[in-house]
Amino acid sequence: MAKIGVYVCHCGENIAGAVNVEEVMKYAETLPDVAVVRNYLFMCSDPGQDIIKQDIKEGKVDRVVVAACTPRTHEPIFRDALEAAGLNRYFLEMANIRDQDSWAHWHDKTGATEKAKRLIRSAVAKVRFAEPLEDRYGEMEKSVMVIGGGVAGMFAALDLANMGLKVYLVERQPSIGGMMIKLDKTFPTMDCSACILTPKMVEVAQHPNIELITYAEVDAVKGYVGNFDITVKKKARYIDWDKCTGCGVCTQICPSRVPNEYNYNMDQRRAAYIEFPQAVPKKAVIDRPNCLYFKSMEKTGKPACEICKKGIPPKGIQGCPADAIKFDDKDEYINLKVGAVIISTGYKVMDKTHFKEYSPHSKDVVTAMEFERIVSATGPTEGELKRPSDGTKPKTIAFISCVGSRDERYHTYCSKVCCMYMLKHARILKEKYPDIKLYLFFIDVRTAGKDFEEFYVYTRELGVKVIKGGRVSAVDVKPNGKLRVRAFDSDLCSPVELEADMVVLATAIEPPAGTEELGRLFAATCGREGFLREVHTKLYPVETAAKGVFLAGCVQGPKDIPESIAQSRAAASAAAALVIPGKIKFEAIISEVDREKCSSCGVCVPLCPYGAIRLEEYKGKDKAYIEPALCAGCGVCASACPSRAITFHGYTTEQIMAQLDALTEA
Amino acid sequence: MEEGGVNVIDLTQADESFIKELKELGAEELKECIQCGKCASTCPMALAGLEFFIKRIIHAANLGLRDILLEDSSVWGCQSCNRCVEVCPMDVVPYEVIQAVRRAAIKVESCPANTYEGLRNLYKFGHAVFPKGFEERRKKVGLPEKPPTALSNEELLKKYREVLRQTILEEIAPFPLD
Repeated sequence: MAKIGVYVCHCGENIAGAVNVEEVMKYAETLPDVAVVRNYLFMCSDPGQDIIKQDIKEGKVDRVVVAACTPRTHEPIFRDALEAAGLNRYFLEMANIRDQDSWAHWHDKTGATEKAKRLIRSAVAKVRFAEPLEDRYGEMEKSVMVIGGGVAGMFAALDLANMGLKVYLVERQPSIGGMMIKLDKTFPTMDCSACILTPKMVEVAQHPNIELITYAEVDAVKGYVGNFDITVKKKARYIDWDKCTGCGVCTQICPSRVPNEYNYNMDQRRAAYIEFPQAVPKKAVIDRPNCLYFKSMEKTGKPACEICKKGIPPKGIQGCPADAIKFDDKDEYINLKVGAVIISTGYKVMDKTHFKEYSPHSKDVVTAMEFERIVSATGPTEGELKRPSDGTKPKTIAFISCVGSRDERYHTYCSKVCCMYMLKHARILKEKYPDIKLYLFFIDVRTAGKDFEEFYVYTRELGVKVIKGGRVSAVDVKPNGKLRVRAFDSDLCSPVELEADMVVLATAIEPPAGTEELGRLFAATCGREGFLREVHTKLYPVETAAKGVFLAGCVQGPKDIPESIAQSRAAASAAAALVIPGKIKFEAIISEVDREKCSSCGVCVPLCPYGAIRLEEYKGKDKAYIEPALCAGCGVCASACPSRAITFHGYTTEQIMAQLDALTEA
Repeated sequence: MEEGGVNVIDLTQADESFIKELKELGAEELKECIQCGKCASTCPMALAGLEFFIKRIIHAANLGLRDILLEDSSVWGCQSCNRCVEVCPMDVVPYEVIQAVRRAAIKVESCPANTYEGLRNLYKFGHAVFPKGFEERRKKVGLPEKPPTALSNEELLKKYREVLRQTILEEIAPFPLD
């Protein structure tokens, strides 16, 4: 016979304010198998726990009911107390007489007291049938995959690698560097973006613990936390990277010119190209859809062009000096085992074409990212400020904020970095061209961040015009080719208009293409806006709903570089804390299949939200098997199994029935 | 305002040299203003409903809207209470901006008529506000006819006018300085 101890918590006034604790205690003493009933002001405090431990140690109690608050926050504390006193930690039941009783029925003290009795009765009935459960441990793969090689992914990879873990850094583009490498300068320090990032890119590439896999994508994911089995597709490069020296000969002699996506199609690259001058790894790839060799092979079966390989001998032009061209290259699939994953696939900026009111057809209306490339030394104009339409130097430029952000038709959120980069652009220009006229149209100026407000005031002092309360309503192209900007200036209390030579749109930050699909591969979920969602905004900002899958950078939502790096290093720390111990703890409260009873109907397999159940051969028949590492203990399978072959440990049928009977008893 | 829209302010007309001029005329911290509006919430001009009260004056100045600002007489309504100077969190010294705009305005004779009346009085009597028949009223309450200022000291008044003649008043006064 069980010796049940019932411990009633006052929770200060939270419980005792509505529940008559004395009365409840007297009632609990009458329940079957109850040996001890005690109360305390705060059961969760050290002295409160000591009361329970003492009773267990003295042999007075071997099952425990704590009538207090929610098991969600406090169950682990009391389980530890049981374990410390030598009792199986699962011989505990909590009756939530606070959240579900005193708080809900604060003005009905009699009713609350009666409900407390019932909840305790039900907990006592359940704990009588408690079975001893053991936490289990599995092996942990001591490696981490970081997906996305922008600034967030790079820093996460470096931290993990420096902790001695093997890191696979997978990047979709031929080079790492992400969005940050495209920026000219960074606020608020005005550091040259490439100057501070390229040394880090090299460090990543040379780190002995980092395996850099660029021009590659995650193709499939199997396994679970501690034992992910990930298939990575390395896209065919058509250039042998073991031989390629990055000399760039092919990128100069290739005759096929195509818009250069690195510079947002404002200039051209060749079909054989190196992504950008500081690329890491500095290797060329051939863009198959635009390559004349492949085009002609598909049409006629004969190669019309092999200039990159063979050169043009009559003109004395040599082909690839390293003999690295490899037209028969194939996509390659590699399997990697890792214990944890960090997703840091970044963001993309909205295209201007959505905003018809801003004359997107005009070449002189550009997005802020395009403008970033225009002012960058490695951009289409090599850093010289030129109007895209006619190459003249603009005298007046208007910057428009919140384009697609804070807008119910596109994105309700604030893209967070635009106010600051608009000020940064203004400062870059004013410092280079003091006479240029710059008008910044804001709804309001948001400069929350270290040194940001000072940056704002300093930029204003340079003579930059700030128009607030003025989301621009229209940008029209005038017959003289200039752009008329119409807005409202709330400081002047008047509609205003401006004739500008160029307009820069601060278009919204969006999740990159494929975010949802990538999340789905790992069972990580997206929020309403399409960014991957953290488990808890405050307490678990880098964890996803999928165990062992972490988030870093803008894939979780818009953020600036300091924030991205802080989050990426947090994600690295969280992943390391999981991986480094080398063991993974599995929940004891999970479901288990009795294969003898299983009828092989398979109904449980699609029901499991965690993909933890599969049919497996057992004595010549396919029977359900639940992977303990994946089971989250939700109980769906156990309630659905028509053969009652599934036991949900900690919530057996016997326990649930006893609990229900006790609750419904008059 | 090419469309004839009377209410639209054309920012393209901005005159950058106006900002420079105001700075030289004393509005040294003009560009520091972040348009927080603290001055406007204490300014008697704003409370009295003048169209261009201190916050808007500073913003228009920063946008280089010379004509708009000089054509409006609001700036002359400032009571010099200096509350704006006390409360401004950016140390713009808003009152100095008002003074600078007034200085700029008077240079182009863009000020209300009574301004000149005041100037003339200032030059003639040493008092900008100089109500007629004050001597009688002073006598009635037992005061000397003239107050103990330059007014009652012809020698001092001469010297004072001499000083004034060395100021910009010499150039801008629309009345003879004898």
